[in-house]
Amino acid sequence: MTATTAGPGTGTTRTDVPELRIDAVSLRFGGIQALDEVSFTVRPGTVHALIGPNGAGKSSCFNVISGLYRPTEGRVVLGETVLPELRPHRLAALGIGRSFQNIALSMHSTVLDNVMLGRHALTHGGFLSGGFRLPWTVREERRHAARAAEICAFLGLSHVVETPVGALPYGLAKRVDVARALAVEPRILLLDEPAAGLNAVETADMAATIVDLRAALDISVLLVEHDMGLVMGIADRVSVLDFGRLIADGPPAAVRRDPEVVKAYLGTGENGECPR
Amino acid sequence: MSETALATPEFSAAGRPAGRLRRRNWPAIIAWAVVLLILVLLPLYLPPGLLSAGQYVMVGAVGAIGLTLVFGQAGQLSLAHAFFLLVGGTAYSVLAGETTQAGAERIVGFGWPPLLALIGAVVITALFGLAFAPVAGRLKGIYLGIASLALVYIGFYLGRALPALTGGASSGRNPEPFSLFGFPFTNEGDIALFGVPLRQPERLWYLFLVVLVIGYLLAAGAMRGRVGRAWRAVRDHEAAAAAMGVNVLRAKAVAFAVSAAYAGLAGVLLVLWYGLLKPDESEFGNYGLNTSIAFLAMVLIGGLGSIPGAVAGALIVWGSQQILTLFAADLGLGTALSGFSPTVISLYVYGLAVIAVVLFEPGGLAAIGRNTVAALRGRRRSDMDSSGASGRRSAPPGKDGK
Ligand SMILES: Nc1ncnc2c1ncn2[C@@H]1O[C@H](COP(=O)(O)OP(=O)(O)OP(=O)(O)O)[C@@H](O)[C@H]1O
Ligand SMILES: [Mg+2]
Repeated sequence: MTATTAGPGTGTTRTDVPELRIDAVSLRFGGIQALDEVSFTVRPGTVHALIGPNGAGKSSCFNVISGLYRPTEGRVVLGETVLPELRPHRLAALGIGRSFQNIALSMHSTVLDNVMLGRHALTHGGFLSGGFRLPWTVREERRHAARAAEICAFLGLSHVVETPVGALPYGLAKRVDVARALAVEPRILLLDEPAAGLNAVETADMAATIVDLRAALDISVLLVEHDMGLVMGIADRVSVLDFGRLIADGPPAAVRRDPEVVKAYLGTGENGECPR
Repeated sequence: MSETALATPEFSAAGRPAGRLRRRNWPAIIAWAVVLLILVLLPLYLPPGLLSAGQYVMVGAVGAIGLTLVFGQAGQLSLAHAFFLLVGGTAYSVLAGETTQAGAERIVGFGWPPLLALIGAVVITALFGLAFAPVAGRLKGIYLGIASLALVYIGFYLGRALPALTGGASSGRNPEPFSLFGFPFTNEGDIALFGVPLRQPERLWYLFLVVLVIGYLLAAGAMRGRVGRAWRAVRDHEAAAAAMGVNVLRAKAVAFAVSAAYAGLAGVLLVLWYGLLKPDESEFGNYGLNTSIAFLAMVLIGGLGSIPGAVAGALIVWGSQQILTLFAADLGLGTALSGFSPTVISLYVYGLAVIAVVLFEPGGLAAIGRNTVAALRGRRRSDMDSSGASGRRSAPPGKDGK
């Protein structure tokens, strides 16, 4: 349980971050080949970006990793463990946290309540023990709430912990989603378009946050993002999907010059921003 | 993703992490103490009719808490509440009763102590709820509602088909009166409070009150913590709930079981209140669709997911029915509206209340209560609530995972 004690900003170095290997994964929806023998590896402690045009299969890839979709072929391996298919609730305990492309929070619950959901796999107790507020449940709850508050503070959410998420501006809600994924104490953090819909300032903030949390927690980050500026600025490695196929995989500078990538993003202009 | 298309699911007071970061909320504690004191003193002053009406409302409140948990908090529509009521009442009657011979029919009983029988009945009903879980895991929204409705008709059939357990639809069976460690909840023995003798009606009132308070605190405590968060996540976004470690199928199953347990408990109280377990002879009875709908009305009027709201909803729905029955003659309803029984009229009353809630305040009485408290405290909570209701609801629905 080093994960529960290493806080953002403590600078604890951890050695338990395994690599995440996507191994020849294919996924078909009827006639659509959403993923076609995609393979890449997220190395421990790196920020790995997964990019591609709309409908390229980025979210589908996330959903396969998260166990929400069963791949038609291939497998996902975390360290030595083959990740279970269609058992998405088991992944949090394995140290995989994720955020969603479209905000998937409980709008009527407070920020802290939403972030506390991330502690689910780390805590215990059912209806009766919670209902009777047995001393150990209360103690556990308090301990984890303190940690959740810490994570909120790290994401600049301290002033809104008691606010219902529905009352927050979009930019802050996006950060709550990331905070909740972090509350899982992940060894690998999957972020699906954390900067989608954010303005330039918020996007820069988000980029800084991702860099900071990777440094503070020493975890791997797998990032789907449309914003090329953000990706090229913070990613150690970039994989590019197009129509479900992996067309490039390498350091940002090399990927940017790859002719296939340029072709896939044709018409994007010289600023490298891909079409939305 | 929310299945609760009828109204906005309410974030209940129970979901607020009060006391986690803040210190004790004294005004609220004092308010609750006053309410409790009134409820303790009330039976000393109420006439028999109102006393009985109050007991009936408390029975409804216990059941409504169960429904608001599964529907409001976990997002699973259940129309099976009346069935679980019947299961609870029957289980208690069988476990606590003695085996008797009524004509040609042998009526089975185990002769357990009533407290044990009550607990057994709750457990049995919870297991019935759990048995429904595979269906609950596969269906959503109104489809789940319709499927759960099938249970009500199964209950209607079984109630008549198993007279050995239920006593049959024509005569029913008399449940063993409740007693606690030898203290009977009947007219036996002489005890008094402030000079008022406590007979069966008063004793039952206190029994129901204690059961309601325990059920209330249990629900509120659970919804405040880990289980409540998991259920709300299942309600709002299943894929996200799973990604955070919640076993969605399991959470739905437990929610159904807990809700059934509350309904079963209400079913036990109901047979104690009637002094009779009597399966329905027609579809429109104590355990029919109309009762499931009445519970639905309670939780909608109270505000989906709100536990105090469920209690208030029970007061309006079952309270109005009892009051109309009691005062039907005084109000001239018997003659002027011949053909309309008080039960039918109360149906219109709470039907209109549901429509009013849907039109004017989807958050129900709970939202009205919260806004009032906020206004009294001069806080800007109400502004926050209203912006919360309209705020980001226009965000695109999540397509991830589903
Ligand atoms: N549940 C599903 N059923 C059928 N088709 C699906 C499903 N999920 C995704 N798809 C299809 O798979 C393809 C890849 O979709 P995916 O959401 O993974 O793309 P993406 O790269 O995340 O795109 P975006 O940038 O728009 O988020 C698309 O053609 C999409 O329509
Ligand atoms: Mg996507």
